[in-house]
Amino acid sequence: MKERTDESLMVEVSNGNLDNLKVLFERHHVHVYNFLYKMSRDKMLSEDIAQDVFYKLMKYRNSYNGGSFVSWMFTIARNNLKTHYRRNATDHDDLGILEYQLTESNDEKEEDYSHLQIALNKLDASDRELLILNRFQEIKYAELAEIIGSTPGAVKTKVSRALKKLRKVYFEKI
Amino acid sequence: MNKEDKHISKLLPDYLDNLLDGNQKKMVEAHLTQCVACAKELSDLEELFRAIDSEEEATPPPALKLKFLEQLEEEKKSLNKVVQIDSKTSHERNQWANNFLKIAASVLLLVGAFLAGKYYSNENSSKEIAALTVEKMEIKQTAMLSMMESESASKRIRGVNYMEEISNPEESIIQALTDRMLYDENTNVRAAALDVLADFRDSETVKNTFIKALGTEKDPSIQIAIIQILGQMQEKKAAAPMQELMEKEDTQPFVKEQIKSFLPDIT
Repeated sequence: MKERTDESLMVEVSNGNLDNLKVLFERHHVHVYNFLYKMSRDKMLSEDIAQDVFYKLMKYRNSYNGGSFVSWMFTIARNNLKTHYRRNATDHDDLGILEYQLTESNDEKEEDYSHLQIALNKLDASDRELLILNRFQEIKYAELAEIIGSTPGAVKTKVSRALKKLRKVYFEKI
Repeated sequence: MNKEDKHISKLLPDYLDNLLDGNQKKMVEAHLTQCVACAKELSDLEELFRAIDSEEEATPPPALKLKFLEQLEEEKKSLNKVVQIDSKTSHERNQWANNFLKIAASVLLLVGAFLAGKYYSNENSSKEIAALTVEKMEIKQTAMLSMMESESASKRIRGVNYMEEISNPEESIIQALTDRMLYDENTNVRAAALDVLADFRDSETVKNTFIKALGTEKDPSIQIAIIQILGQMQEKKAAAPMQELMEKEDTQPFVKEQIKSFLPDIT
């Protein structure tokens, strides 16, 4: 039997068949969690935000417009993460931003990060985000463009530039 | 040369992902044999991609799933609450309609009495009363039928529930109800139609509708209601569609259980 697409499942969710959301959760929660974790390096935060992403998918099911489900889901995840850091930044002024960029140096002692992770953490948040979504979550340029509000061509250029930066950092100290 | 380099390095990720078309691929490969810098970049990228692919995925804590399932159940409950409130108002509306009908009935009685008085002078008037009653019934049915076509789901439910009051419905009413049950986009309307139709399960049309719905209905609670009705009737024609439903991948486990409990009696 053919596996049903995310989109057809989500259309049914928005028509009131909430149980289909379980299938979508099974398919995607690990990806959402890993995206958030790679971005923030904070397990608690990633859990909270991933929880909220699926809660929002359920609550706002009627606003699903039939487009790419993965794009919609990561758009929500990304906005939630941004809101979190923005709130933190206003609460503690510069500290929040500082924390965002330097989580790596704080947590590094607690856990062993791979060389790749350390290199990734040295990139700007926007470059890191592009690479995590494109290379780790294997999101195509077209869907990525929907998520960050750009065009596939521009996204392709941005990803290629970010890869160049990652290459530079990754091979710098090896 | 420099410009060309830039061009190639932009194509390298897609080259590794095998996303380039034949011409681009040939061009990249030709360039790579001549340009050491690009060849080095390619091997670096390859190593980088390998590192990315071998990166371990973090496993989310189990609480994430548990909480999600909890939230989902709560949301489902709150949906049911909405239905309850809805049926309450439809009940109130029914009472309002009843009162209205009582008044209408007394008006009709008055007219009837007047006509009855006339009967002594005109024997034809009895026919008029009969015609009037039939006409009134038709108006009522037309009103219900148009209610069932309404845009608002709660109005459609009211229209469906209204039908319950008719003891001996015409074929057109049964047809309207079966249409609601099979094709209405709203689960609650379909459930209400099923409820009313269950009283007329001996009708061939209704029975066939239930069997057809086994193949089309996606809501587990309605599926179960249909399975129970057909199972109790020991309807042989339902055996094959039930079997099919049981073999479907997206059928809920408890629905499958329900089918399992009835299938031996039917076949």
